[in-house]
Amino acid sequence: MAQPTVEFDRSLLGKDFPAGSFTITKEQVLAYCRIIGETNPLYLDEQEARRRGHPALLAPPLMCPLFARDLDRPQVKLNFGRMRMHAGQALESFHPIYAGDTITASVHLADVYTKTGRSGTMVFIVWETVFVNQQGERVAVSRDSHMVRE
Amino acid sequence: MYYLDLHCHSVSSDDARATVEQYLKWVQMLRKRGYQVDGIVLTEHRKFDQGIDYSWLSRQYGTTVLKGSELDTRYGHFLVYGVNHHLLQRFNFADVGLDALALMQEAERTGAIAVPAHPGRYGIGLVEHLANGLDLSALRVVEHLNGGSRKGENERADALVQQAGLLGTGGSDAHFVSAIATCLTEFPSPIRSAEELVTALHQGTFRAVRLEETRAQVVK
Amino acid sequence: MERYFEDVDLGDLIGPVERVATDAQVLDFCKVWGMAASNRFTSREVAQREGFPDAIVPGIMGMAFLAELVTRWSPSLELKKLDVIFRQLVPHNRLLKLHGVVTDKDEEMGLLEADVYLDLSDGDRMVTGKAVFSLPHREG
Repeated sequence: MAQPTVEFDRSLLGKDFPAGSFTITKEQVLAYCRIIGETNPLYLDEQEARRRGHPALLAPPLMCPLFARDLDRPQVKLNFGRMRMHAGQALESFHPIYAGDTITASVHLADVYTKTGRSGTMVFIVWETVFVNQQGERVAVSRDSHMVRE
Repeated sequence: MYYLDLHCHSVSSDDARATVEQYLKWVQMLRKRGYQVDGIVLTEHRKFDQGIDYSWLSRQYGTTVLKGSELDTRYGHFLVYGVNHHLLQRFNFADVGLDALALMQEAERTGAIAVPAHPGRYGIGLVEHLANGLDLSALRVVEHLNGGSRKGENERADALVQQAGLLGTGGSDAHFVSAIATCLTEFPSPIRSAEELVTALHQGTFRAVRLEETRAQVVK
Repeated sequence: MERYFEDVDLGDLIGPVERVATDAQVLDFCKVWGMAASNRFTSREVAQREGFPDAIVPGIMGMAFLAELVTRWSPSLELKKLDVIFRQLVPHNRLLKLHGVVTDKDEEMGLLEADVYLDLSDGDRMVTGKAVFSLPHREG
């Protein structure tokens, strides 16, 4: 098995890039919960959320990386592979997210590395995204890796 | 009998999420449930953690902790036990296309041993390379039981072991805490160092077992 | 059922919960997500053109199922971190078994960790993950 020489734009590594913003609506929260089977009243019932001390309906934390898909990311310019797949995702939450919040994201390329497995040679591209709400509070950090194979 | 998990990954590997201490806590829980697990060998992907010392954790949890590597070669992944400075100088462990034959020979020459990992794994395991005409006449030991195998893959490894008359090790290939020690290698006597492990693998008196079999041993 | 930090031990099981990601649910999920109607997740034709055997369940939808598996374990549970590896493609319209096991208990930080899994009903493991969460203490 000949091993490819993998090239990409190394100047991106570790640099922060503004990635845009999105607003999470109450309708999106309710639709998400209905599809996933979420039953926690904090995500479904605004009155219950307020009764328990929250300023609005809570949004499940996973809604941040969900919307990160449409954010702007610089081109990695990888010279390898044709098939891309989501290989992994980590989300760390620091502050509640509420329906109506406008979230601003910044991304940086955390890592690009090569390994072999059942699919042959694979290159992994790892992005880290920091999400900040309209008050400037860091609400979550996600790390998503994408596998590129031949 | 002495039971070692010869294949696992800690957070030092890119795709693993368990710390060594978490593995050792889990081993303690398994012991409380009647299983016998005496130690683990960390085989991090494409690296050897030379500077990391697990001896205090080993003492704290009463569990042997040894270090090896899992390297990517042109003929699949190889577990290397007894990693030494000769091997570290000769091979770039991060290379995903290492020369497997050279690795085996150099390991043998320098007091280590290189063992094909999950040889039955589809797409990458040694079985596929042997089927394509690879001649590995020097091969004596392969990983027989791998806890991360999909359906049919351990069966392919078993067929290789039986047909070629090879010796077989067992390892969980754990990347997450609860997978540790699902497969192990049974040795007749304790093993406390990488050197003792290499010696035992050369002596050939070991076999691959599943965790459940260690419980039967304890009950006996 | 409310659970308390003090009552949880290593080896405690979370779930199982069963789910099926139907064609309609995946389509609805993609709409929330803002994805175009026809993509590798909703169209067999597009999926096959991209080299997949059939339309697949989005990785993040499987992750969302796992997040819900953990948060439903106790009403006051706070999920701090979820870290998953997508091992195999999750197919539509198949029974999915979600389950987990508590793997660590950090008394000092008041945090618990669990391994979480998304398997097909025949045991094939599709997604593996680690969840970090907190539970209330009995003394309040």
